[in-house]
Formats: sequence, C-alpha cells, structure tokens
Amino acid sequence: MNERRWAERLAIPLGFVLTVAVLAVVFYYPVWSVFSQAVWSDGGPTLAPLLDVLTDPFYTGVAHYLFTDPLAVPGGIATWLQAGMPAVELGLFGFTAYQALLSTVASVALGLPGAYLLARYEFTGRETLRSLTILPFVLPSIMVAVGFVAMFGSQGFLNDVLGLLGLGSIEILYTLEIIVLAHAFYNAPLVTRLVAAAWESVDVRRVETARAMGASRMRAFRDVVLPELLPSLLTAALLTFIFTFMSFPIVLALGGLRLATVEVWIFARVQSLALAEAATLATIETVLSLLLLYVYLRYEDRQSSASSGGTPLARRPFLVGWNTLTDLRRIGLLTYGVVALAVFVGPLLSLVVESVTGPNGAFTTAYYEFLLSRQTATASGTTRPLPAIINSLVFGVGTLLLAMPMGIVVAVVATRDLPGSRLAEAVLTAPLAVSGVVLGIGLLQTLVFGTVLFGHRFTVLGPVAIVLAHAIAAYPFVTRNVAPALGSLDDRLVDAARSLGATRTRVMLDVELPLIGAAVTAGAAFAFAISVGEFDSTVLLASNVDSYTMPVALERYIGNRSLGPSLGPATAMATVLLAITAASFVVIDRMGGRWDL
Amino acid sequence: MRRRRFLQQAGAGVGAATFLAGCNTAPTGDDTLTIATYSSFTGEDTAGAWLKSAFEEEHSDATVEFTTPENGFNQFIQRKQQGAPIGADMYVGLNTGELVRADEQLDEDLFRSFEGTIEGSEGVKESLRIDPDGRVLPYDTGYISLVYDEDEVENPGSFDALLEPEYEDALITQNAQQSDPGRAFLLWSIHEQGPDSYLDYWEGLLDNGVQVISDWEPAYQAYTNEEAPMVVSYSTDQVFYHGPDVDMSRHQVGFLNDQGYANPEAMGVFADTDQSELARQFMEFVLSERAQAEIAVRNVQFPAIEGVTPSEEFDEYALEPPNPVTFTYDELVGNVGTWIDDWAQLVASN
Repeated sequence: MNERRWAERLAIPLGFVLTVAVLAVVFYYPVWSVFSQAVWSDGGPTLAPLLDVLTDPFYTGVAHYLFTDPLAVPGGIATWLQAGMPAVELGLFGFTAYQALLSTVASVALGLPGAYLLARYEFTGRETLRSLTILPFVLPSIMVAVGFVAMFGSQGFLNDVLGLLGLGSIEILYTLEIIVLAHAFYNAPLVTRLVAAAWESVDVRRVETARAMGASRMRAFRDVVLPELLPSLLTAALLTFIFTFMSFPIVLALGGLRLATVEVWIFARVQSLALAEAATLATIETVLSLLLLYVYLRYEDRQSSASSGGTPLARRPFLVGWNTLTDLRRIGLLTYGVVALAVFVGPLLSLVVESVTGPNGAFTTAYYEFLLSRQTATASGTTRPLPAIINSLVFGVGTLLLAMPMGIVVAVVATRDLPGSRLAEAVLTAPLAVSGVVLGIGLLQTLVFGTVLFGHRFTVLGPVAIVLAHAIAAYPFVTRNVAPALGSLDDRLVDAARSLGATRTRVMLDVELPLIGAAVTAGAAFAFAISVGEFDSTVLLASNVDSYTMPVALERYIGNRSLGPSLGPATAMATVLLAITAASFVVIDRMGGRWDL
Repeated sequence: MRRRRFLQQAGAGVGAATFLAGCNTAPTGDDTLTIATYSSFTGEDTAGAWLKSAFEEEHSDATVEFTTPENGFNQFIQRKQQGAPIGADMYVGLNTGELVRADEQLDEDLFRSFEGTIEGSEGVKESLRIDPDGRVLPYDTGYISLVYDEDEVENPGSFDALLEPEYEDALITQNAQQSDPGRAFLLWSIHEQGPDSYLDYWEGLLDNGVQVISDWEPAYQAYTNEEAPMVVSYSTDQVFYHGPDVDMSRHQVGFLNDQGYANPEAMGVFADTDQSELARQFMEFVLSERAQAEIAVRNVQFPAIEGVTPSEEFDEYALEPPNPVTFTYDELVGNVGTWIDDWAQLVASN
C-alpha cells in the first residue's frame, strides 16, 4: 500500500521528466541542429542570414524599411496616410499572415455553428457525426486537393449543381479563396471539437441559478456560458492561425506557386539544399508562432472561472415536426448544414466517386482491383495495402497510449500557478509551432544519419521511433484539449480530495479526468488522427521498406504508373483510409463516452 | 519517367525515438549490390523489378537490393557532407541538375569515374551525354512537350505564340523548384529566350494566365478535369492513353519551335562503394539492348542507346521531337540555381 502511494506520488513528476527527456532527444536536438545554421556560421554567432531575410522586400514587403531605414519609417507612414492608405507590398511573411488570418476567420465561422449544433441539439446520429468531424485531419493534402478539384473545379460537381439551378458558375481553383476554404476544411473541425467539448462541460445548475435570479436567456448565456466557451474558442482560433501560418502541403497542392507561403518557400530552399536560408526563414516563423502561443497562454491563465463539472446542459431535440421549419435557429442550422455538406462532405464524396471513375468517365473497379493485385504481388519493393492498414492502426494505438499520459501530465503541470509555468508550457507546446519541413531535415541529419558518441555512430530508427515521433506531434493536442477544461475545474474539489488523503495522481484519475471526459476524449481522437495522418517522420524513421502506413502507401501509388498516369489507385487507397479511420473514431468516442460516465 | 513527389516533406512530423541500432550498416554480403533510386522505379511491374531479376539470373551470385530514401538524391549529398555512411553502392535516376547540385555542394566527388571501361557506353546518344567527366551514364530520357486538346486550341507551335490572347488561361505548368517537367520547361524557355530575357518572357506568360502547379500529378489531374486545354507533360503521353475507347483529341502532343527538351535519367556509382566491379557489370547490363528495350517500355521513356526499338506499340505512340534540346552540364553549372530562384521570386510576387 505504501509502495503504491509512492508510485502515485511520483507518477506526475516522473511522467513530466520523461516527456521532457524524450522531447530533448528527438525534438529539441534535431530542430536545434537546423536552427543553429541560421545564427551560427564558421564557428561563431552571426546575424547576417537573419538581416539578409529581414531587409529583403521579397520576404518582408514594406516592413523591410524597419530594418534598412528605421528612421524614415514615421515619415513614410505619414506620407502613406496622406495618400489615402493605398495597398502596400506585404512580402512573403505578410501574405502568409494575411491568408492565415482569413483562414482562421473562415474556420471559426464554419466550425462554431457545428459546435452549437452538436452540443445543444439532440438528433439521430449526433454522436457518430461528432466522431466523424475529425475525419478531415487524417487526409493527406494531395487527396484533399483531388477532392477539391473534383468538387470546386470549373467542371466540378458544385458548378454542375449551380448550372442546373441556373446560377452560373464559379472559378475559384488556384485562388486565395480555395486555399482559405481548404484551410477551413482542415481546421473548422478543430473549432467544432474544442468548443463542443467546452459547451458540454458547462454546468446546467449555474445557468439555472442565473435564470432563477432573473437573468434573461441572453444574459445567462453571456455571463455564464460564454466565459466558459471563450478559452476553447480562442485556443482553436490560435491553433488554426498557427497551423495555417505554417501551412504547406495545401498551399502547394491547391494554390500553385503564385500563392506561395513562407513554409512553401522553406521547402523549396531545403530542396535546393540552401539550408542556412531555410533555417533563417523557419527561425523567424517559429519565433512568431511561439510568441503568439505565449501571449495566448498568458491570457488563458487570467481567465478564472470556477466550474465543478456537474450536469451538462440538456440538449433540445433538433427535429420538432413542422415547427422545425418555423424556428429561426433551426432554419439557420439547416442552412449551415447545407454549407457544411458542400465544404466537408462534397470533397470527400468526390474523392470516393473518383475512385470508381475511369479516365473516360465510366464506372470502374480497376483501382480496387489494383489494390488487391498489389496485396498478392511478390516483387520486392511492392507496397501492399494490408500491411499499410495494420501499421497505421498499430502506430495509432501506440500513439494514443503514449500521447494521452504525456499530454495530461503536461496539462496538469501547466495549470499549476508556478512562476514561469506559462513560458514552460509554451516551450513544451513548441512541436505545434515548429515548421514540419525543418523538423524533417533535423530528424534526417541527426537521428537518421546518426550521431557520433564515444566513437560509435548511433542511429535512431524503427517502429518504436515512429510511435515516439507521432506521440510528440500528438500530445500538444491532448494538452490543448485538456488544459482549458482542467483550468476551469473548481480547485476546491482537488483540495477536498487531497485533504481526505488522496495523492495528486489519484485526484487526477478519480476526480478531475472523469469531470472533463469530453475534453479527454476529444484529445484522444486528435492523437489518433495525428498519428494516422502523419507522413514525414514516418517515412524518415522507417528502418525497413515494410514500415509504411496508409498515407505513405497512398503517396507511393500516386507515383505508380502501371495503370497509366492516374490518381485512381491513390483515390481508392484514400477511400480505404477514410473508411478505416472513420470506424476508428466512432470506436474511440464510444469508448471515451463509456468512461465519461 | 520520374514524377517526383512533392509531399516528401509534408505534414508536421515530430521526432522521437529510442536507440535501436548501433553503427549504421553499410551494405553487407559479398555480392549484394545496393541501389538507391526513387520509389516508383521499384515494385511490381517496374523497370527496377525486371532489372533485378534479369541481372540476378545472369549473375547467379549477385543480389540486387533497392533503397528508396524519401528525400531522394539530396539525402546522399547530405550524407557525404556530414561524413555519414552513404549506405548504397550506386544511384539510379539522376538528372543533370542534380549532378550539378551535388558538385556545387561537395568538395569531394560523390561518384567515381568510369570513362572508357563501361561496355556499351559508346552507343549512348550524343545529345544525352550529360557528364563531361564521365561519372554518370544516361540510361533513358523523356522529352518535355505540351499535351493539348485539339478540340479547344491549336498547337501553339512556338514559345512566342503562348503569349497570344488565343492562349489566355490555357496553359498549366509545374513548379520548377520541385517538379522535373516543370524545371525542364523553364530551362527550355531559357534555352529559347536566353538567360537575359526569360524573366520578361515569363512575365508575359503570367499576364496571359499561366498556372504554375506544384507537380506533375496535380497538374495533369487539373488538365484531365478540363481546368485548361494545355499542360506541360511528356511526349510519351499517348503510350498511356491510346485505346479503343479513348478520345485521343485530348492527348495531342505539341512540340514548340520543333523542339522537345530532353530530360535524361542517369546512373552513377558512389565513390565510397566496395562493389565497384559488380556495379560496373550492372551498368553494362542496363545499357545492353535487351535491358534498354525493357526499361523504355516499363518506364515509358526513350532508350539512351542509339538504334534500340523498344516495341511496335511504343514506336507508334511515343513521339520524338524533330530537334531535341537540352542544357549541358557546363551550361548549368553556376547558373541553374539562380535561374530557378529568380523565376520563383517572379512568380510568387505576381
């Protein structure tokens, strides 16, 4: 009994130390190996690469005057104001931030009504729908691009429908609009999941108390519900901004070079092995992201609301006969449903349709037969679908088992009021704020090429390395889901349990986590999704040719030309990926729901 | 034919790991030849799979193994730079620009020289000999051309015609920073317009609505979905698409200025290998007439050796440009990086 208490006492500090140790070896070290090239050259520190970028109008636009001629800036602004504020050159960084801002607004606009619908209304299939909201997260961007072209292209499904309705046609492919839309496709689910989880944690008794004391419904919403939603909404908006600021594959696939972002440029610099310039761009990008993260965490810290979990708000039935069509809110939500159908279901469905459509437009099962033939092929180097599915699921479950404790431990530590704990959390959340391209190159030159220690060259590869890599990418999502919910719990609950003799770990397991079950389950779904969708470190750290996952297999089928230059086999694999992950999310939510009780 | 993936660095991956292996093992076994290449060169029905079994049949002691690193040839430049083990004996699937990059980045030679000792290398087409030092040998080539829909546009026939209003919003090309055909098309335009005026030419193309898409697959997909009536692609397009129920009007190959830009694929033996004799035998095998015909059909590329006829079907549908052009190694050294950077900045700021 005593030993068990010791184990419980040590669990949180030990988990924290282990998390930091893993981060140090496989995140900070590889990333530093790249970043150091931006500030270190020929054995000494240097500012030259940084200044080269900051003073280049191509990168910083009109802001380059801040670095080339700072004294003239006030005069320049005055002249600009007098001229009636004409459009200015944004530069690569400015344009990247601009499109991220638009994408964030679009994601919130598209995600928030979904959270409202899922949290406040009851209808058949609600839980399944909630499970599936995360699906866009696992789709490789090239498949999203295929779906978007088929849905929103000039000959796409949407234009067919608009044509039938006599509404003309839209041309949005390779424009800023479609990038923003695709970013919303990826990130609106983040808003929906995070906000819905917070909404479901609002205690009905506090709303009822407010109402009993004479507050109007509006007033009760503003004073009781909104303060509890705001942290999760801001978390989602901030994450969306950071992700879309660092967005790369979507911009590459749907925007073309004319709409290049910073991360696209970093990728191109890495391709031509101009690593110092790539590192400099990535350093600036990461500093901006981390600053934003830090400012947000400071804000979140000041949000003090006391909730004790308790009974969630009751859901209203969505369908109320003919009255459904007379209630303004329900009509609004139905309209939202149509838009959501076009944005989320449209591209996915188009992808599935592509997988059974031959080059001449007729129905074909050739692409699925191709998958079957790969499964039975004997040539070495053949990518088979079944091992890809199994690897994906094994890595996904492994990631889940590892990222959950990591994320929760960090959340528990982060919600304590210690000096510098915001800064610590920002540093621990850094995996969200570092360029994926840079991390890839860092992993390559440290873990894959190996590091010489004591005269031996050590490499770090294989399935265990892949799972650890996935877990590090995934745990910040668990933390960002759990921390706001944990922070809003009433401290007195913890104090009471502790004064009755429970260890900190016991309190966490028996009191806190059950009260924030929705947030924990949302975190689990994200962890699984991140693992299944992960591509970069999977291919880098695979020690043999058989460690491929579903996205890797899909990507290899794109380059396979035995059916001609066709994306068909890849769309078939994408459909398999969708079906299997969809089923997994439903299972995760059901299991989370059981534990929730 | 290589259509490089553009997702190779995609996604926000994060690394963690345990120490599994000690020393990074170099190829083991006396007669194992480890060949690094791109992933679509290997697997069922590929040129790689055929080469492996046919070569092993001829050399009963030898085993061929393929390794396909995700960041391709760059990985070996970086390994050499950092003094890490190369981990392969030879590389198959190299283009001129990559050889130039390796030489610009490295002080030592990544590849060893074989001039004169490779049987069959004298038959390599003159226009495809990309390496003046004879380290790498081409084994096949593609020709970059336009593919267009004859129901919608006429063959423009020249670079200048692409600036005409007739071809407004009509052309899809690829990003020269990461796509092989995209880079070849850019280099071709520099070849024709000259290094001093190609940026003006491209400004005209951009004003006329050219789309620069990341890579060949999405570009061709967009073309298939009728986003535009012309796409930069390969002159072997009809080899894939001919057939009784295929509408060939959308698979017309258009050469510009009666030219196509040759994009040869080459192979070379790493300087650090201890299998140079086996590697030499493999190169000779690849250049043999039988292998040249097989590679051409399976890779849908033209043979590098003069006078090889892959198959009747290939002959009928693979179109060779009247005047193949390409930049030589010496013309690219010191230039290709700047050309592409300047071009990319122009496109991105437009």
